[in-house]
Amino acid sequence: MKNYILFPSYNEGLKLASLLKEEGISYTIAPTPRQLSTCCGMSIIYKDEDEDRIKKIVEDNKIGVIGFYTI
Amino acid sequence: MGDYRKLWESLQMDLEKHDALCAVLPELYDSVYLSQEDRADAMNYFNFVISEVHGLRIEELNNHRQKGGKVVGTFCVYVPDEILNALGVIGVGLCGGSQFWIEDGEKVLPRNLCPLIKAFVGAKISATCPYFQSCDLLVGETTCDGKKKAYEILAEYTPTYVMELPQMKREKDIKDWEEEIKRFIKEIENLTGKKLTYENLKNSIKLINRKRRALKRLYELRKNTPSPISGLDALLVSQIAFYDDIERFTENVEKLCDELEKKVSTLKPNNKKRLMVTGTPMAIPNWKLHHITENLNAQIVVEETCTGTRYFENEVSEEGETIDDLIRNIAQRYMKINCACFTPNEGRVEDIIRLAQEYKVDGVIYYNLSFCQPYSVEYKKVERALKDKNIPLLLIETDYSTEDVGQIKTRIEAFLEMI
Repeated sequence: MKNYILFPSYNEGLKLASLLKEEGISYTIAPTPRQLSTCCGMSIIYKDEDEDRIKKIVEDNKIGVIGFYTI
Repeated sequence: MGDYRKLWESLQMDLEKHDALCAVLPELYDSVYLSQEDRADAMNYFNFVISEVHGLRIEELNNHRQKGGKVVGTFCVYVPDEILNALGVIGVGLCGGSQFWIEDGEKVLPRNLCPLIKAFVGAKISATCPYFQSCDLLVGETTCDGKKKAYEILAEYTPTYVMELPQMKREKDIKDWEEEIKRFIKEIENLTGKKLTYENLKNSIKLINRKRRALKRLYELRKNTPSPISGLDALLVSQIAFYDDIERFTENVEKLCDELEKKVSTLKPNNKKRLMVTGTPMAIPNWKLHHITENLNAQIVVEETCTGTRYFENEVSEEGETIDDLIRNIAQRYMKINCACFTPNEGRVEDIIRLAQEYKVDGVIYYNLSFCQPYSVEYKKVERALKDKNIPLLLIETDYSTEDVGQIKTRIEAFLEMI
């Protein structure tokens, strides 16, 4: 199982990526899996234990996300 | 995860077919790249570029063209990027590395031709590669017979210009190449309506030298035992060099090197065999040989290929008072690339032996794309020279299909046991 965050555009994805880096939260940028969307583009893979912290960062910084998914 | 459909539509792409191509990438990249352990964090930039391979970069090319800029597609490391960049052109390397395009390529080309040529022709005629669709001009070159003749077919679909590459390396040939570069400059000046200046060319030479130096730094780090970066990751960086924004790419390769430099001191010895790959280029997403090899007890530490050392070795001299001096410097640098389309090509054998020593390799894999005649004929020379130096060598001739993966794995396994 892997956790993905999807974004409306890569700008939002890159914004979150740099915030995660600042906070020392490990993440991996990956192509969006086809099961989640047929649009090409980036998504972010994260670890279970970081989910709450990441959700807070997204909220506090008003990062546009399509959603959090586990597949 | 932007919606690029409108952009692709404006490039006259076959959206339905392109969708089938897009469907392959996420899973392939996940299984080949993201499954690797202990990757550098800085590889996230390159994950990003791949994730946005038909998105962000295509948008950038489109914006450039909207502002009146031009995009030129190339197929060979001999076509001088310095000229394109100096005239404000974005150059993109277009060689195809996917099995997806082979079927369309075979509609107009013989089946017994190298997969790289079949794939790039297939990519154009199927209108499924947004890079091809973004080009104002394609620039071919007379390297092998297959490519040379394929450009005649491409020209039926899109404007194509061919540079005549000498096939020998005498003084006369270097001069001929210099003249050919001057003709190329005229062609690109006509395309852009701009005039090449000493300043522009000098700045462009400096910029591209910096990019080559960054790649050289990355390769230098691979000389450590164990190498701090997998062959797969290094190959990806080389492949992305062909189409990414030059400054952004260079900056991110430097960041990667900074991280790897720190990583080197923390690495514990492993018993993986260190291998060199020599031979034909590997265009995106051709990761087949590296993937098979690095899933065994081995690490690829250097590629003597056009998607490896041949791309970045030797810089263009920045010395010279006139534009002609700079053009001569460019001609001289490029004529040092040792491609099998030249005769004789002793320089390549010397390079392989030198790199084998510098990178302390346990063995060499001679990678030959099926039906690539210049490289397959040159194999004998390389085999003899490496035998004299007691460097183990394995010949793998293959294409982009997955049919022979099991067989190649068995052969590499046996090779690793033997060395």
